[in-house]
Amino acid sequence: MNLSTQTKALALLLSVGLFAGCSTTGETMDEGGAGTGSDVSAIDQEGGSTVYGGGDEGGVSSSGLTDEEKQAAEEQAKQAALREITTFYFDFDTSEIKPEAREVLVAHAKYLASHPQQDVRLEGHADERGTKEYNLALGERRANAVKRFLIVNGASRGQIETVSYGEEKPAVMGSNESAWAQNRRVELVFK
Amino acid sequence: MTNREPRVSSTGTPPWKSPVVMSVVLHLVIIVIAIVGWSWMDTPPEPPPRSISARLISPQPEPSPVVEPQDQADREKQKRLEEEKRKQADQARKQEEARKIAEQKAREEQARKEAEAERKKQEALAREKAAKAKEAARQKAEAEAKARAEAKAEEERKRQEEARRKAEEEKRRLEAQRKKEEAERKKREEEARKAAEQKRLEAERRLREQQLEALADEARKAKEAEALKQQQAAAAKAREAQMLSESEKYQALIRERLSQAWYPPSSATEEMTARLQITLLPTGELASVKLVSSSGNTAFDNSALSAVRSLNRYPIPDDRDTFERYFRQFTIEFNPRRLR
Amino acid sequence: MTQRTRTLSRHVFLAVVIAMTALVNSAHAELLIRITEGADSAIPIAVVPFSESGTMPAGDKVSRIVQDDLTMSGEFRPLPPEKMLSLPSRREDVYFRDWRMLGQRYVLVGELKRSADRVSARYELFDVNRQERILGETASASVNSLRTLGHHISDKVYEAITGVKGAFSTRLAYITRDTFKGKPRYRLQVSDVDGKRARIRLESQEPILSPAWSPDGKKLAYVSFETGKPVIFVHELATGKRTKVADFPGLNSAPAWSDDGRSLLMTLSKDGNAEIYRMDLASGKLTKLTDHWAIDTEAVYDHTGQGIFFTSDRSGGPQIYHMDSLDAEPRRITFGSRYNARPRPDNEGRFVYYVHQRNSAFHIARTNLKTGEETILTRTSSDESPSISPNGRMLIYATKQGDNSVLTVISADGGAAYSLPASEGDVREPAWGPIVN
Repeated sequence: MNLSTQTKALALLLSVGLFAGCSTTGETMDEGGAGTGSDVSAIDQEGGSTVYGGGDEGGVSSSGLTDEEKQAAEEQAKQAALREITTFYFDFDTSEIKPEAREVLVAHAKYLASHPQQDVRLEGHADERGTKEYNLALGERRANAVKRFLIVNGASRGQIETVSYGEEKPAVMGSNESAWAQNRRVELVFK
Repeated sequence: MTNREPRVSSTGTPPWKSPVVMSVVLHLVIIVIAIVGWSWMDTPPEPPPRSISARLISPQPEPSPVVEPQDQADREKQKRLEEEKRKQADQARKQEEARKIAEQKAREEQARKEAEAERKKQEALAREKAAKAKEAARQKAEAEAKARAEAKAEEERKRQEEARRKAEEEKRRLEAQRKKEEAERKKREEEARKAAEQKRLEAERRLREQQLEALADEARKAKEAEALKQQQAAAAKAREAQMLSESEKYQALIRERLSQAWYPPSSATEEMTARLQITLLPTGELASVKLVSSSGNTAFDNSALSAVRSLNRYPIPDDRDTFERYFRQFTIEFNPRRLR
Repeated sequence: MTQRTRTLSRHVFLAVVIAMTALVNSAHAELLIRITEGADSAIPIAVVPFSESGTMPAGDKVSRIVQDDLTMSGEFRPLPPEKMLSLPSRREDVYFRDWRMLGQRYVLVGELKRSADRVSARYELFDVNRQERILGETASASVNSLRTLGHHISDKVYEAITGVKGAFSTRLAYITRDTFKGKPRYRLQVSDVDGKRARIRLESQEPILSPAWSPDGKKLAYVSFETGKPVIFVHELATGKRTKVADFPGLNSAPAWSDDGRSLLMTLSKDGNAEIYRMDLASGKLTKLTDHWAIDTEAVYDHTGQGIFFTSDRSGGPQIYHMDSLDAEPRRITFGSRYNARPRPDNEGRFVYYVHQRNSAFHIARTNLKTGEETILTRTSSDESPSISPNGRMLIYATKQGDNSVLTVISADGGAAYSLPASEGDVREPAWGPIVN
């Protein structure tokens, strides 16, 4: 269901974009103003892509596991599974971490604590409702809330970078409660 | 009375004594009295003003008791005078009648004497004839003659008797007639006098009544006028109220029309007020408009002027007075209170 | 005699009473009718198509541009030309009775003449009811700038009728977002107020936000994510020269110009929390204006140029606050609902406009600064980014139309809406430029 909505929205966006592209080009050509080209500065930035946390593979030998070791391995596997979750959701106009997110965030914090070289970027987002600038601040506040939680749970300040995109980068297109709920979020991006 | 006149004049009485003259005199007297009576009526220095109230009635007739006794004396004197005159007339009449009877008697005597003389002459003639025939038939004729003479004498006696009786009868009849006529005349005269008196009194009464009536009338009229005035005042008041309510109705209509026609410019503020004096024609059309107080904002003033000029016809009351009083010329104030 | 005197005095009394009544009546006679409300609709005006001599360039006619401008203002209701009984271009051909019959208040007539590469417009504006000419002028423009000529005439007509400067020759800045080759494309564009003659000033795959005009209309400040995070740039339009003015850790956002164009208000979170700062552009020196654990952002100068309005959620949700001066205590302005943000004051100090949440919808509302009375101005439900025209009479904002955002112009009192032609997907964050002489 979600997928189909997303697909539709994408198709729509694409077609509108095509249209817009055509007309804009026309206008721009018409103007032919000197310096217009120089005004346009397309910054090459690989944005919008979420890079999932990588490289925690080490040489693992499977022989001679004690119960403790076994337990630790299980725990590690569980932690790793938890750390698969990198997106945390918020209620409207709040930056309060939900209880169900805590365990996962603790796992991330522990991981960061045990991997001091690992940096993480916290990307704060808001849904489309409300004003862009306020949402920008709200996104930042959400990211900061997560950052504080991670630090409290063992991560170091230097490992964490925050950025807010406000409502600019929705995870899901659409103007409904479901979309908004998925867009009010903080994403952890491990580098 | 007038149709009596010829008969009276035929009696041959001197004109100044005739009833006509007396009647005229009587009338004159009445008129004089009437005039005298009038004069006091006229004497009040001022005719009562028309507008006075009923209160003025009582003082007005006051002069009458003062003048009344004098009038009464006059009338008494008049009565005596009349009585005297009447007595004189009666006496004259009696004398006249006696004279007339004597004359009649004389005339009758003369006739009788003349008849006697004639009869004697006839008799002498007969005697001469008889004397002539006496010789011829004296014996025979003697008896005849004697009988004839006797019959003749008897006849003559009877005739004479008859004539005397007749004369006597005529005399009695005449006397009765005269007496009757006299009584009738007297009665008529009395009646006439009474009628005249009655008339005079009636006239007087009527005059008095007329005057009182006039006074009452005047008072009534004054009262009516006052009532009318009050009524008019009340009506005017009611009308005033009506006009006011009419005026308010049309004020509301004009306000509504102008509100719809007014486009306050976006520069308008609640502090701006433009006053326009407008003059309408009785048709409701705008005759003129004058900006009497500017808002200080040209666009605002213009919007008000434009609104005022945009109405083809102002809603105005049909009633001309209301129009004249309220809508011939009035002021419109534009002052936005509820800007969006 | 006494009676007469009494009667006389009565008469005199009566006469006095009558005279007094007459006096009272004459006092009544000057009736005053007070009109406190005007028509609720737009002003009917006939913009007669201008006569033309010489070849004119293709495209919209000048009179058509004027007609559209006046319509957009929400204050005018131009008569469609097909309903006109005649098409005069000079005063002698204007029959006021006809226009009056058509219910028109004003008639604009004119003629265009081309000489070489210039076009001159001789035009006249008449008040139909007063039968007076209230404007007459000849203006000219290059043959390629007929839109400039049209907007100029619109400004003049608007000012002549309303007493307020027209804002039709001003420009808009806004952001468009679409997808190009599978990637998002953000563009900063500048156009006429009617959305025509749009020019792209910046294009990026990363978000561009919050364009703000410098008072002289020569520069735009905005937030660009082109470096991966929000950074404030100042962009000179004529040269395309861009300056990164604020690139501190955290937020660098919500730029707003001071009246003299020498400093910017901005929101920075370099110290961990979003606060409002003033930056002197020449020296880069920062002055922190707020210091609160809450979000303080979206600052803008008030009409005095001394105080500021801003958004803060210090009360629990975003609300509008005002500071009389840069070091004054903030005073809360909005109380009408839980969410009021992004203040935009008019230039007269009468109203402040902002985004207002009512139930689950977002509208543009304004608060009367004198009375505190709040009015919701829009009927749409996902409204954002109000920007007031420099003459304070029109307001442009972004609203959702389907999944896209479009720009809509309304009169500042919430009158008729006029949607700008949206040709490129999402159009957002309009910023109304200043009147430039």
